[in-house]
Amino acid sequence: MPFIDARELPGDSEIVADLVVIGAGMAGIAIAREWAGSDRTVAFIESGGRDFDAATQDLCKGEAVISGPDNADRPFSDHLYQGRRRQLGGSGMIWGGKCVALDPADFAKRDWISRSGWPVTRRQMQPYYDRASDLLGVPHFPPGETSLQEPARPELPTEGGGRIFSAPRHYSRMSAVNDPEGFDRFRTAPFEAPNITVWLHANVTEIKLAQDGRAIERLDIACLNGRRHAARGRAYVLAAGGIENARLLLASNGAEKAGVGNRADLVGRFFQGHMTYGVTDAQQGLMSGVYVTRARDLSLYTSGFDNKSHCVLAPTLAAQRQGRLGNATFTLGRIAPNQRPPVRPEVSAISAVASGVDGAAPAEGEQLYGFFMSEHFPNPDSRITLGSGADALGMPRIRLAWRYTAAEWRSLEGQVAAFARELATAGVGRVCFPMERPQFVALANASRHHMGTTRMHADPAEGVVDANSRVHGVSNLYVAGSSVFPTSGIGNPTLTLLAMTMRLSDHLRLHLRRAA
Amino acid sequence: MIDRRQVLAALAALAACPAAAAAATVDPEGARRIGDAYLAAHPAARDAARLRAALMPGDWSAAALARLRSRVAADFRAGRVFAYRGWRLSDTEGRLFALVALTPNG
Repeated sequence: MPFIDARELPGDSEIVADLVVIGAGMAGIAIAREWAGSDRTVAFIESGGRDFDAATQDLCKGEAVISGPDNADRPFSDHLYQGRRRQLGGSGMIWGGKCVALDPADFAKRDWISRSGWPVTRRQMQPYYDRASDLLGVPHFPPGETSLQEPARPELPTEGGGRIFSAPRHYSRMSAVNDPEGFDRFRTAPFEAPNITVWLHANVTEIKLAQDGRAIERLDIACLNGRRHAARGRAYVLAAGGIENARLLLASNGAEKAGVGNRADLVGRFFQGHMTYGVTDAQQGLMSGVYVTRARDLSLYTSGFDNKSHCVLAPTLAAQRQGRLGNATFTLGRIAPNQRPPVRPEVSAISAVASGVDGAAPAEGEQLYGFFMSEHFPNPDSRITLGSGADALGMPRIRLAWRYTAAEWRSLEGQVAAFARELATAGVGRVCFPMERPQFVALANASRHHMGTTRMHADPAEGVVDANSRVHGVSNLYVAGSSVFPTSGIGNPTLTLLAMTMRLSDHLRLHLRRAA
Repeated sequence: MIDRRQVLAALAALAACPAAAAAATVDPEGARRIGDAYLAAHPAARDAARLRAALMPGDWSAAALARLRSRVAADFRAGRVFAYRGWRLSDTEGRLFALVALTPNG
């Protein structure tokens, strides 16, 4: 009986297991895969069911605004509803399957970026990345700044200064978008082990601290049909997503007014997201990207739009240090002819002259669409707080203030200039980025990557969780998911959050052994 | 005095194509618009003779082309970049287009 509908349990039922996990999304699935068949009992408390349910999804609603200097605020509340999924499989139901290992630079302490640095290095993460890649059925990512190394798909010959490298991306079938049937097996099979139970339609409304405030005593659970239950375990993992993790900690304020794990007032702060900056405007004849003067074989870069392994251009750590810039990527691709703006006379002239300067025949060239991504830096004022309204279970709604500073704009502009410089000096092509600073917030596409709200740091004054993902000051509560990322990197977070969950899972084995 | 067609042919010759055949590959209207924008941003550059002397001294040769390439790369490295509708061009490329804009139609 692995899947149990909590709405049908007698009221005030008590769920008891060695390990209690809040959420059966991608991180929860990874924990289930790691613990299936072990000698420990594991209970998953999942808000949703196997199918989408509008009333459950409604619990995600709240207020959100994206803001940045020199830009008008952009109301973004729909994102809280559309950009997540309260359902078995979680965001895997809407994930595109893109897998990326963060760069070595993302884990490094970069003294020009406040609060950068992880308590783990990229190289130390390698075994966990490998396990996460195996889980998702994608090739392993090399630990350094290296490309896919496929002779049949050559890299662009950027200048040999070590400032740009081609960073790999793979696509997993393990998403409901890419393979609905396969993903259904992926999200259910691990939970069918005899030591695992999943309680569906069960919403954790409060994490209850023990009297001394140093451990979790139980979880309060509510169903939309009015039933209420509780769960008890020896250890707990909060794996409800990059936004919901913070919400639940903040809302669990029965014993401590600021919420659980929030003595340093860090829960919900340092929210980081990714935005992509690209333009296709048929009316204005504008398209961001690059005119490649020798477009012999660009499939290493352009196949990503077909969900095939590919590379994006990225600055090395050395280049970031030299320019005192954050991380960034430049993703290239071919878009459908009917989506391309008509070629303006100026573009024709630029392509001809650039080809000439680069020593290529005009017929060799090709204009590619491209978009930039630029790192969102850790900022305590970019944050999740509890709003004034309440959801159907009485929990405070989310208020998300997704904030940028001039530092991010400088970094984006600097990286665009750097990509333009590197491609032009190497005789590869010319970059087009027809977006001005006051348009960044309005024109960018916001991703569903939600990070940083329970950031990891060894020092309790700087992080919500320690290097093992345990909440500072609470002996038996851990956090899984992208909310623990200290910095956002510049890649889709799913693979990294799974790798971090594998790492946490190893630590939990030790925890439970000690507790026994 | 050279005319615009000759400048365009010289630009097309950058691409090592037979100049006469390739002249049409440099869109004259597009080149003029970019050149006008460059001149609006750099009014001091509004001197066709000086531009030509700086950009195309002597005959159009392989050495001249190599020099031009080297200048374009040096511009980008030094941050001498001219942005036109989002396109990041070197100052030298901007001046090439400015020369087109300043050269009368033949």
